[in-house]
Amino acid sequence: MTSNPQPRALSGQPPVGRVVATELKPSTPHQFYFWTARESPVGIGAIVRVDADSRTVFGVVTDGFAYSDLQTPMHAVIGADGDPAGAEEPTRRAEIRLFAAAVLRHLPEEPVQPVPLGLVHLASDADVVTALRMDAYTEGESPTGIPIGVYAAGGLEAPVYVDADFLLGPEAAHLNISGVSGLATKTSAVEFLLTSIFQRFPAGKGRIAAVCFNVKGPDLCFLDQPAPLGEEDTRLYARLGLTPKPFAPVHYYAPYKADGVNLNTLRTHEALQSNTEPLLWGLREVLDYAEVLLNRDDVDAKADAFIDFLAERVVDREYEDNTLGRKFHVKSFADLDEFFRAIFQVLEEAGRGGEVWRTHHIATIRKIRNRLGNISTRSKGLVTDDGEVNDLPWGSFQDRGLYVVDVAGLDPLAQDLVFARLVSRLREHLERRDLGVEHVVVFVDELNKYAPADGPDSYVRKMLLDISERGRYLGLVLFSAQQFRSQVQRRVVGNAGTTLMGRMDSDELALPGYSTMSPATKAKLAALPKGELLVRHPHFTQPIFVRFPRPAVLSGREGVERFPPAVELPFVEAVSRRLRALDPSLSSAKIQDLVAGRREADVRKALNATLRARPDQPFPFFVKCLGREVRAETVAPKPGIRPVRTGADPY
Amino acid sequence: MPLTIRELRRRLAPVPGMVPAALIPPASHGREEEACITPATLIEPGPVTARAVGSPEVWPGTVAFLDGTQRIEVAGYFGTSPLVLAEVAAAVRERVGRDTRTVAIERRALAIGRPHVLAAAGDALSGIETVALQGEEPGHPLRDVDEARHAVDRARGEVERIAGDEYRRRAPHWLVVDGSLSESTGWARDPRMVGVSKSHSTLPFDGEDLVTYLQLPAGHRSSIFQPASRRHAPVYAWGLRLWPWMGRDLLYGLVRIEVAARSESLAAADPLCRWLLAERAPISAPDGRWDRLLYGIRGVEEYLRAVRGER
Repeated sequence: MTSNPQPRALSGQPPVGRVVATELKPSTPHQFYFWTARESPVGIGAIVRVDADSRTVFGVVTDGFAYSDLQTPMHAVIGADGDPAGAEEPTRRAEIRLFAAAVLRHLPEEPVQPVPLGLVHLASDADVVTALRMDAYTEGESPTGIPIGVYAAGGLEAPVYVDADFLLGPEAAHLNISGVSGLATKTSAVEFLLTSIFQRFPAGKGRIAAVCFNVKGPDLCFLDQPAPLGEEDTRLYARLGLTPKPFAPVHYYAPYKADGVNLNTLRTHEALQSNTEPLLWGLREVLDYAEVLLNRDDVDAKADAFIDFLAERVVDREYEDNTLGRKFHVKSFADLDEFFRAIFQVLEEAGRGGEVWRTHHIATIRKIRNRLGNISTRSKGLVTDDGEVNDLPWGSFQDRGLYVVDVAGLDPLAQDLVFARLVSRLREHLERRDLGVEHVVVFVDELNKYAPADGPDSYVRKMLLDISERGRYLGLVLFSAQQFRSQVQRRVVGNAGTTLMGRMDSDELALPGYSTMSPATKAKLAALPKGELLVRHPHFTQPIFVRFPRPAVLSGREGVERFPPAVELPFVEAVSRRLRALDPSLSSAKIQDLVAGRREADVRKALNATLRARPDQPFPFFVKCLGREVRAETVAPKPGIRPVRTGADPY
Repeated sequence: MPLTIRELRRRLAPVPGMVPAALIPPASHGREEEACITPATLIEPGPVTARAVGSPEVWPGTVAFLDGTQRIEVAGYFGTSPLVLAEVAAAVRERVGRDTRTVAIERRALAIGRPHVLAAAGDALSGIETVALQGEEPGHPLRDVDEARHAVDRARGEVERIAGDEYRRRAPHWLVVDGSLSESTGWARDPRMVGVSKSHSTLPFDGEDLVTYLQLPAGHRSSIFQPASRRHAPVYAWGLRLWPWMGRDLLYGLVRIEVAARSESLAAADPLCRWLLAERAPISAPDGRWDRLLYGIRGVEEYLRAVRGER
């Protein structure tokens, strides 16, 4: 009598399956099949280990099949007498659960051979480390692992790390995340990952900061505010060795609205004003990036030459030209417009032949005036006429500092300008090594808007391409997100060393770009729950599903509920509120009395100077900047000169 | 685990004097019976009638299925005397709830031939059971193969008995056997064993009774009878039509049920029939005998085939 053979486990965990290889479904060095019991914890994305005599193979489940011994559906109909509800089958049909797995790693690595027949186990913590080659960077004297989530299958759970050298440079860099709006948790994933980076980026690799562009709603407006976490999220943080806490320090920048005192952001609650500053640029800041404002048709050598002429010879210096008849000191858009008007006047007076001024054609001059004037009009809150500037703290970025620039309320042209200028400045400072940190992560949502797959080439797209191809050498790392990867310039996303995918749109997954994924992986992606991601990373030979905890900060929706945006205030009250953000003890009435009747432009100038300086005593500083009030005085009409009395004309 | 025929062939290849062969004799996978009519004794008062058994009912509780398989091949010849290799196996698969699992299995490999053939094969047959064919008359290769087949039939019956007895010793549940219960005295007396025979080579009636017997409508059984010639022990039996036969064949869907020859079996006939009718689903297709082959029995065959590595 022989008993039914029972497989014996080679390790502590009992096996969950056995490798099968047939002529039609053979094992290869990169793929194998195994079957499991009907009730099995194995699912798509599960990592498994195959034990054979002299070889261990790790794989990830990419597809699953089930079939019975039924040859044709007709046999089922006959067996049930044609009634689906009629016949109960006393014996369950023999059926198979067959899984396809892609190989993650062979041990030993050489010679590369087909996967042997063997028992299949679910991967343990240690197996996951080995299978994903994380042993190369999570162990040793200077580990560079950054937790990105936990891999979970069959009741087993293991932290998954990405390699900082491949996420933030210099080996590879950049991260791209795709997924449908609202369900893919793209923003949450980036927030969590930034938390992870800030807490686990190795100190020996230098200082790091992040600049995030808030491009829609209140998404990134409350990253300094803690959120209550559930038990499961808290456990996940502990499992990953992270502390759930909000970012600190966080600095917010938002342009003004057209009135020049109310900030154009949803982060206007009074309690949040201490670290919210205006983003304010003058003519010089815009002119340096004038190319952003020009469309494809505008870009020609003549326009470039005239812009360069303005930048080098006119703006911020004394300019004298005999033809214009006087000196100009152009510091603001208002000064520049006066300068343009003087040129046009000269050309008009010249009459026929007056179409060229100093080799620049009047049409070119008018075009540049139009484009520059446009930005000052359309982005009145960002660009000031009077030359006032409040910018990011170039040169004094803080380690683990988060700088959020809220451009959600700006028009697209101004968004492009902000993005181009800030990223260019980051690049310049990183090249000179004088930013204050050695690495900067730039997070841009809606990448399809800034680097579309088709359409005209734009300055911003070229710049993003440049960052994605060369940024890692400088420490400039792009974290980008979009709904549809197919709608983004291929080279920009292609250069992202790490790719994340949340829940994906089925139509998007049907595109050829996703053809390397199995139908089951696509099906799982199309229904992925919130908080789960598919991760591709250079060390992982196959994409891996992970789960991450919700960020420990308020989401945009929660933030707006807890800190509702302040209503737009009249000019005087808005000034009062901004000053009180610097010194809450200031009385509103005192400020309102001071500014009552003063010119708004003067008040704005004094306010911005105070906000920029952040003095210990804001009110005296503001008073000093505002200057003495020059009261209007009524001038009495002077008596006219009497006509000379004369007698009768002798002539 | 016994050697397979393939492994035995490899062992025999270098044996001097043996001419290899690859003959698979007819009916090498199953037992062959001769067609005949052997009148039975009616247990229920006659004449033979068709009796409706009622609607199918799922078998209550745990039930097990027993079946055996055999495979026979002529491996080669020493002169004109064949050396026959065979594998026989039997298994019991128990159904708990709706799932079945193997609870007993018995396998053997056999080498069958005249004594001088077995002696010539020598060490190549070490470790396996050998059966020497006896006979005074000069050897005839076809007769030897035929006798070998009978020996294999007997061996298969034996492994089936071992597996069935083993199960019944430790489990109180019903055991459904593929074939006749009268192979074993113990089985024929066992109140919890039922034989389901697909073979109708031996018919129990003639005349009008046979017409009634072979034209049973679906869901009907015949009167209970006691087959006349049974090797070991008397049993009670009746015919049961599982599927409508008209337009197909007289034997289509007809099985012969055997139980212990006890008075209690008379009352148990109808419930047993209802349980067996429920066993029509799932059907055993694509097996060609699916109209008479219970899925539970087929599961045992499939298991044994898979264990043997047969495609």
